[in-house]
Amino acid sequence: MSVYEFRHTASPQEAADWTPRQQLLTDLRSVGGRAYPRVTGLFREKSWVAFEILLPFLATSAFVFVYRALQAPPEYIGFVVLGGAMTAFWLNVIWMMASQLWWEKSQGNLELYFAAPMSIMSVLFGMAFGGMVMSSTRAVVVLAIASVAFGVQFAIEQWALLLAVFFLTLAALYGLGMMLASLFLMWGREAFHLTQLFMEPVYFVSGLNFPVGRLGLIGALALATIPLAVGLDAMRQLAFVGAEFPIGTPPPAVEALILVVMTVVFLFAARFMLRTLERMARKEGRLSVRWQ
Amino acid sequence: MSGDVTVPAVDEPIPAGLASPTWGGFDPRRARGQDLRDHWQGFRTAAVLGWQTEGNWTDPVLFFIYSVAKPLSAALILVVMLDIISGGADPAYLAFVVVGTALWAIVLAGITGLAWSVLDDRERYRMLKYVYVSPSDFLVLLLGRGVARLAVGAMGGLITIAVGILWLGVPFDPAVIDWPLLMAVAVLGLGALVAIAVLLAAICLQTRQESWSYPEALAGALFLVSGVVFPLSVLPGPVQALGLLTPLTWWIEGVRHAVFPGGPSSIGGPGSFWTATTGTQAPDPATILLALLATGALVTLAATGVFRVSERRAKDRGLLDQTTGS
Repeated sequence: MSVYEFRHTASPQEAADWTPRQQLLTDLRSVGGRAYPRVTGLFREKSWVAFEILLPFLATSAFVFVYRALQAPPEYIGFVVLGGAMTAFWLNVIWMMASQLWWEKSQGNLELYFAAPMSIMSVLFGMAFGGMVMSSTRAVVVLAIASVAFGVQFAIEQWALLLAVFFLTLAALYGLGMMLASLFLMWGREAFHLTQLFMEPVYFVSGLNFPVGRLGLIGALALATIPLAVGLDAMRQLAFVGAEFPIGTPPPAVEALILVVMTVVFLFAARFMLRTLERMARKEGRLSVRWQ
Repeated sequence: MSGDVTVPAVDEPIPAGLASPTWGGFDPRRARGQDLRDHWQGFRTAAVLGWQTEGNWTDPVLFFIYSVAKPLSAALILVVMLDIISGGADPAYLAFVVVGTALWAIVLAGITGLAWSVLDDRERYRMLKYVYVSPSDFLVLLLGRGVARLAVGAMGGLITIAVGILWLGVPFDPAVIDWPLLMAVAVLGLGALVAIAVLLAAICLQTRQESWSYPEALAGALFLVSGVVFPLSVLPGPVQALGLLTPLTWWIEGVRHAVFPGGPSSIGGPGSFWTATTGTQAPDPATILLALLATGALVTLAATGVFRVSERRAKDRGLLDQTTGS
């Protein structure tokens, strides 16, 4: 029998008293429901694909040409290409995770989320899952086209660790996005401007186009706080074995552990912030006020 | 009722606000409007509105930090790249990169400003239809809205140059600046930039969904072919030729030539399309001005035409009040 089937109850309280199975299934449906538009949108709105690929490819190409103009060693071109592919995830996290609840509020959907009988965390998980699928296509295409166009030579010895680091980077990135979603919602209009601050400045401190170790203390701080910085550094070390790096960054295995810690911290922080936000939403009723 | 319209004396001023003329009746000049004074009033009001929309979300200090962080970081990325490869950046190339990045902050702000004004008013605030039916000229209002963002971009660009000079070691000597050339390219370049922005705003009037990313997409494409942070000579010949058709290439080259005479050229040099076809190392100031004027005029003509066609089509198809949920 479906958990959603109508059943007679003695009171509304009894009707609202769901079994753990009902709650789990509803949350899983919510994850699927929120991921669905992002995955389906890939195929329905074809211009998205063009712009999702075109934008990072153009930016990546520009930095490749800078290195070419400087006659840099070939592995630096590879660093830029890998960084360009990973920006797909970062942009997705900032624009479509962190800012999403604020957009939903502006469009009048947020109060529906809070009123629906599901955990808001499942909405965030759905957004994250859909966003990962969406951005993965973009990252793979950018990586493939740029690698072929600019003749990037990868030198990989530890495939398993590289894949593990990649997935841990995604987990930490989207965990950060889930945490930021609540913060951005509270900050309102400032959040939109904050997204601008989370682009070039974060690209700089994360060493998007160069080894982050070159930045010294700033680089170390980035490695400790920004998943993009630590994930990218670990992936560069694993994908370009033998390349000359500025010394100072930890080995990939240690960076993988940093990513694990980041994932756990961000997910717990996201859960705590969402609960706080939900309480505020019920208490103050400000979250249905649009454009603020 | 005779149906005659009483026409006031030409020199009688139009009353302020909504008050009736002193002689009573209806003054047709009010409905016609569109003289220079009306344009200025519309432009000024839109500029103030744009500035407030851009800046009233926070305090001035935070607003300043947000405005300069992006262009400054973009410049620092390139400075570190330069430093890693050349081990202590070459001052001439450092100046090349810092000036290019600073000017690009203005370009990005200019292009984004107008396009996002259309999208903001249509998709988010849903005011575009009301703005359109107001007595002011629509294009003038759009320009006013765009000016605020352009000003923010210009501020970021200037701060980037200042940081480059004060902290990054960009060689700067006010005595060697070619001021007449700088003034001329600044005026012509900004005109061309506004024309490109109008062109994109016209396109955004017609489009939906991903229009928010169009300004960055266009800016990204132009960034590649305009010699902003690397000389065009590293690009394939046909792409270099394409780059020479955009006014932004000549604007940036002109500013570099005026502020850092004798520095590296983004257009000429060994292996460049320019040197191969003209036999000269780099374009001289007169050529730069002429090319900027010609390409700028072409873009302006195209932008005006496309905007008018787009405006008519938007009215015809009801696009001014159509929100797409993007």
